[in-house]
Amino acid sequence: MKRTMAMLLSALMSISIFSGCQSSSGGDASASDVIKIGVFQPLTGDYAGGGEIEVEGIRLANELYPEVLGKKVELVVVDNKSDKAESATSVARLIEQDKVTALIGSYSSALSIPAGNIIKDAKVPALGATCTNPQVTLNNDYYFRVCFIDPFQGTVAANYATTKLGAKTAAILQEVSNDYSVGLANFFKEDFIKITGDPNAIVDIENYQTGDKDFSAALTNIKSKNPDVIFAPGNFTESALAVKQARLLGIETPFLGGDTWETPDFLSVGGAEVEGVTFSAFFDKNMATTEEAAKFFEEYEKRHPGQEAAAATALGYDAYILLLDAITRANSTDKEAIRDALAQTSNFLGVTGSTTLDANGDAVKDAVIKVVENGAFKYLDVVSAQ
Amino acid sequence: MMKKINPKIFMTLAAIALTLAAAFVLNGVLDSYLKRILNLCAIYTIISLSLNLVNGFTGMFSLGQAGFMAVGAYSVAIFTVPIELRPSSFYLVPMNPFLARIELPLIAALLLGGLFAALFALVIGFPVLRLRGDYLAIATLGFSEIIRILFTNMQSITNGALGIKNVPPLSNMFLIYLAMILTIILLHLLLTSSYGRAFKAIREDEIVAEAMGIGLLKHKLLSFVISAFFAGIGGGLYGALLGTVDPKNFMFTLTYNFVLIIVLGGLGSITGTVIASFIITFGMEWLRFFDSPLRLFGVVIPFFQPGLRMVVFSILLMVLVLFFQKGIMGQREFSFDMVRRLFPRKKENAS
Repeated sequence: MKRTMAMLLSALMSISIFSGCQSSSGGDASASDVIKIGVFQPLTGDYAGGGEIEVEGIRLANELYPEVLGKKVELVVVDNKSDKAESATSVARLIEQDKVTALIGSYSSALSIPAGNIIKDAKVPALGATCTNPQVTLNNDYYFRVCFIDPFQGTVAANYATTKLGAKTAAILQEVSNDYSVGLANFFKEDFIKITGDPNAIVDIENYQTGDKDFSAALTNIKSKNPDVIFAPGNFTESALAVKQARLLGIETPFLGGDTWETPDFLSVGGAEVEGVTFSAFFDKNMATTEEAAKFFEEYEKRHPGQEAAAATALGYDAYILLLDAITRANSTDKEAIRDALAQTSNFLGVTGSTTLDANGDAVKDAVIKVVENGAFKYLDVVSAQ
Repeated sequence: MMKKINPKIFMTLAAIALTLAAAFVLNGVLDSYLKRILNLCAIYTIISLSLNLVNGFTGMFSLGQAGFMAVGAYSVAIFTVPIELRPSSFYLVPMNPFLARIELPLIAALLLGGLFAALFALVIGFPVLRLRGDYLAIATLGFSEIIRILFTNMQSITNGALGIKNVPPLSNMFLIYLAMILTIILLHLLLTSSYGRAFKAIREDEIVAEAMGIGLLKHKLLSFVISAFFAGIGGGLYGALLGTVDPKNFMFTLTYNFVLIIVLGGLGSITGTVIASFIITFGMEWLRFFDSPLRLFGVVIPFFQPGLRMVVFSILLMVLVLFFQKGIMGQREFSFDMVRRLFPRKKENAS
């Protein structure tokens, strides 16, 4: 019994070695007229959902634009298991083994940051699609991104709260174990105080942990301070629960949030109670007026009838076409030349509007304000990057 | 009267020298991908060994390793980031002014991390080590979560959820392998000493051990504290290798990676742990081709997509656990005698 099992196991292993060789030799045969782009994303683990929709956009773009400079573009997609160590290893693998020309990734800033050092050392241009933490591209000449960063989103929310809602005071409900939430809350706080000119404009800051279910203590504190608006960026499940419980406690104050709220789960968890909450988001179909956007929505509709394309899908798509555009502008597959071309990107028209990369490699682009209305996300306003 | 040098000791010393020399030479030769995997292997070995000391040799079921790693990793992150780069990480709340002025070399920070972890273990150990079996596992797991949540909330020291970036990246294979070999040697010396034999006696039967005059709490505490020390060192190296630490990195699920390694290698075997760390770390990378699309005779096989790797890995693990219930090595150790026994005929011919 043991022997047969061992035989079976070794047979399985040898088959896998053999097949592994086949797939790699197939790729090498025509190496000279193929440009490889490495995509590192969480396809298993905690962030798999986000990674999946981002890859969807990159693959769609690759189908529509399979060639650049007369060469075929090959995507090498690797899974980083939503693990930081694995993320760094997978990028090293893409660079050393697959010899990729450029990289796209990753969903979640926490997974992008460990890869940054390797990207910097190997001098391979990389483009993030949805990683919004300022630290990803900071002090790294080879890392760029097509999305705006957290400080901008905080500013957008503060502007919206003061000008459109006429808020004089605000309370913050932050997910203290989530870097995204803490960062956004802080930038909101700074800008809100600056705009109102009142150092005590933030009347209360309440913390909760990822996975918390009961927010009544924090909400009761907020209620007693009676703010004009509550800023509560965070994970969609917790945020939806918090809004729901606030309404049940009789708090009618408007809620503001960040882009993470834009998921169907937010609506299903929050139900009728999340009606009327507003949040900043990357883009909306109504705002997307470029040619590229029309093409994107048409092709997406063909492949996924009746489904709404997620922002991450559109940004993944944009990352790919911007990279191809940079390669065309560089007119070479040299990594330094592509990097320089990427750095000079200005007013590039993609699905999510016009993209200009600043000195840090971050995209300067407009944000959208959305509202929950009749159980769906509705476009409300656009906030210009200037 | 000349003392004869034991050939086995000579062989062991030669093997150590060879490993270090190889690490030194390969450091300049290998590409960054292979170096990274080999470095991870060595770091996982250190942490798994520390866990095996408690779980495999002393027979206590502890799941607190992620917490001790966090202590080590944060010590390295707090003390080795160059002072001028710190404000870019600590942009919400400035760093504690006392800590902000201290910068230490990596080795000092590593040792400090180990000592902090050991101190934590000492404090936790007194109440917790009175528990046995599953209760101990739950208590240590809880404490590792407490450490993580403390780090999430000590904003001015650990930068909270934002984590610390710009840790000087460590890619020196020689240093990491030196740390691994020192860990192996120290643990080997410990386990062959009277303390080590006391640990094993406690593992086999606590009541008998106590009746033989072995102080239970003292020895358990010793094992626990030493384990935490090495976990702290391993965690520090892990943080330095990644170049960034944040509390989410040290969720309790991290511990299970190492539980897997020691169960696979053999509870109570140093060499088994080393072998299993290398097999698992390399295996995970090697299985990556399951994630990429496969064309066999021009046909794309649909199963081969990202995620399949984990399925195959799990099946292989199940098979291994079913047929090697005590892990690869059980409680045995690799020795040069073993190699000799493996090739009996060759030896006969030679002699």
